[in-house]
Amino acid sequence: MSDTIDLDFLDESFAEMLSSEWPRERSVAHAQSGNLIAADLWSQMAGLGWTALNVPEEFGGLGLGIEATSRLHAALGAVSAPVPMLGTTMAAALIAHAGSDRQRKAWLPALADGSMRFGFAQPSGAQLTIENSSVSGIAADILDAPSATHFVLNGRREGKRSWIVLAADSPGLSVEVHPLNDTSRTLGSVNFSQVTLAEDAIISAPDCQRVVDLLEHWSCIALASDSLGIGEAVLNLTIEYLNVREQFGKVIGSFQALKHRVADHKTALVGAREFLAHVASLDPGDPAGLIEALSSKAHITRVAAEVARDCIQLHGGVGFTAEFQPHVFLKRAKLNEALYLTRNEALDRVADLLEAA
Amino acid sequence: MTRTFDILSKVGDEGAFRQEIRDWLAVSMPKNWRSEWQGLENETLKPKMIDWLEERRKVGLATPHWPKEWGGPGLPFGYQIIVYEELTRADAPELHMYMVSLFQTPATLFEHGSPAQKEKYLSGITHGTDIWCQGFSEPGAGSDLAALRTSARREGDHYVVNGQKIWSSGAINAQFCLLLARTEQNVKRKHEGISYFIMDMKAPGVEVRPIRSITGEQEFCEIFMDDVKIPAENLIGAEGDGWNIAQSTLSAERGLLIFGGTERLARSFERDRVDGKDSWMRDPQLRREYAAFHAELQVIRLLIRKLLKELEANPDKASSTLPTFIKLTWGPFLQRYTEFLVRAEGLQAHKWKAPIPATAHTSRIKFIDFLKSYAWTIAGGSNEIMRNIIAERYLGLPR
Ligand SMILES: Cc1cc2nc3c(=O)[nH]c(=O)nc-3n(C[C@H](O)[C@H](O)[C@H](O)COP(=O)(O)OP(=O)(O)OC[C@H]3O[C@@H](n4cnc5c(N)ncnc54)[C@H](O)[C@@H]3O)c2cc1C
Repeated sequence: MSDTIDLDFLDESFAEMLSSEWPRERSVAHAQSGNLIAADLWSQMAGLGWTALNVPEEFGGLGLGIEATSRLHAALGAVSAPVPMLGTTMAAALIAHAGSDRQRKAWLPALADGSMRFGFAQPSGAQLTIENSSVSGIAADILDAPSATHFVLNGRREGKRSWIVLAADSPGLSVEVHPLNDTSRTLGSVNFSQVTLAEDAIISAPDCQRVVDLLEHWSCIALASDSLGIGEAVLNLTIEYLNVREQFGKVIGSFQALKHRVADHKTALVGAREFLAHVASLDPGDPAGLIEALSSKAHITRVAAEVARDCIQLHGGVGFTAEFQPHVFLKRAKLNEALYLTRNEALDRVADLLEAA
Repeated sequence: MTRTFDILSKVGDEGAFRQEIRDWLAVSMPKNWRSEWQGLENETLKPKMIDWLEERRKVGLATPHWPKEWGGPGLPFGYQIIVYEELTRADAPELHMYMVSLFQTPATLFEHGSPAQKEKYLSGITHGTDIWCQGFSEPGAGSDLAALRTSARREGDHYVVNGQKIWSSGAINAQFCLLLARTEQNVKRKHEGISYFIMDMKAPGVEVRPIRSITGEQEFCEIFMDDVKIPAENLIGAEGDGWNIAQSTLSAERGLLIFGGTERLARSFERDRVDGKDSWMRDPQLRREYAAFHAELQVIRLLIRKLLKELEANPDKASSTLPTFIKLTWGPFLQRYTEFLVRAEGLQAHKWKAPIPATAHTSRIKFIDFLKSYAWTIAGGSNEIMRNIIAERYLGLPR
């Protein structure tokens, strides 16, 4: 199936559903609602199989690859959807790639049907020490932790890298919520107080670094895609506004000072889209692609954050109001820039890889 | 001991094609050209350019991107890419005196020239050594090109041309000029009444004065025309249709021409970090700034490849917007990257060195490369004009 899927058709069906189920009003209302996630949207997505996208077919998934997943994340970014999709994408990638048969059977079907929601630690982030099948400590700042039913956290056992997969209601485990400026996602720290791990709660792999690289690749594409969606959407709604708002007897879109900025944003996004399409077509298992994935994360999250930043300015006073959508995009775009790898961290890695080439 | 090379016969086998180019380049490329050509220009450079063109012609690669109909090799896209990759890899000199001859002139004549014009002038490029220049801009008509005032008056079998052109690159070396002149003074819209001519630069009444550019080179010239007679057969297309035809000329600049430049820059980008490895690459912030350019370089290379693929698949129906996005991506990117290198090199970059011709923006004399980047942000439609086009034509914002 993955070879024959029409990606543009996927785009259309994502956009069609999201524009009717998650229109601007809902996006703006959600930002002030205090709700963690849009639970109804999540179940609709699950019903349509979107949570099963990159889960292998034998475990109830659609067996699609990173290109299709990239399209989904872009579509979610474009409406700033408050759903914990990143954890699902990442957990499916890890479990399908490195999980044992038993682990795959245990988790993938529930992941595919949306009933398991994952908080997934940054692949190259800090690791919890596993001693005598027990863990104590803190996994700080885990995306989507407050709404997660499960976690994938970085572990280390006898000096070897592993992944800890645990239910959020495991005894001894608690989550401290950190409210975010971006209300379309959530963040929390996971506290472990002598949490006992069954053997099946640990994923290990013969070549851990390869798995870390693979996960890093997936996360970079997912975040870059989300940001591309944000950038294009916020620019589009801004152009709409420039065409209707009048000052000095004409629409403000006729002012060259504004036109030129919009043209620069558009140009940057045209390039970003082309770059992302190329990078998403690379095999995440091929180490040669990692430099492009890291580059695209640093570049595209930056482009989108800059576009979103200027779009508030281009709106004037209404852009500063909670009622208008640009702030929702700005906050999400800024978070994407910082998530998993900061720009400097990503660029340091790119420089390392360039020098090693 | 020279062997003969038959590069074109290797089409169909990419590996063999590539290897044949490499073997040919190893023997035929001018030796030590970067040091030997440094500081040369115009008359001192011209013989070197002609020799290099001749070497390329011998193997059918004088005009690698030309279709068969133009007298080119008609290489499939994939093979054109290989030619440029190998020329870049070997650091072959650019045929920069022939820029207009190789890009703008064929783009114009192929679409709008008469059979006789194509026959005569395209073969003067494929078989001869004709250098062309472009005479569009005038002192009062730059971005507002349609405001041009050079006049062409029909008298029997010829036109009489009077006026002045400016910023014409390489006009001092040129045999022919792509000339825009006004054949009709009383028009409703200034875009009407402009006609497109081939002007012989040796014709009586043509005077060329070089202008020194910010790099110290004589990059461009003024052209003064005093009762210059141009035969009527040198009119391209119909009288008054010059504005439309000029769009073909300009589109050449916004597409193919950039391809060679991005590939060279990609090579140079690799060398830059090797050069800087014991100096600025040790500064964490400069190193990050450098790494960030990797993405931008990929962006421009991907955009150009997309355009070339579209052009190959469908020469007439290629995206009309892509060339503009490409130009507004390439110019500013090139300028920021070359400026970065000047900053990274610190005081060393400020010590004057004579420019090296035929290196595009990769002479590796950082300050000169930076200065030359303005060619892409000003010429052929400035950044600001590109932004106007994108905002008004593509995004629908009102004038
Ligand atoms: C290296 C180089 C090589 C060149 N080679 C050739 C050649 O071979 N043949 C040839 O004919 N010409 C050539 N040119 C000329 C080039 O095409 C013109 O310089 C260019 O079109 C700009 O015109 P101008 O110099 O008159 O600047 P102006 O049009 O006076 O522009 C000055 C400034 O005003 C801005 N501006 C102008 N109009 C607008 C507007 N509507 N909105 C916003 N901003 C605006 C411009 O962007 C620029 O920043 C060359 C130029 C350079 C730099």
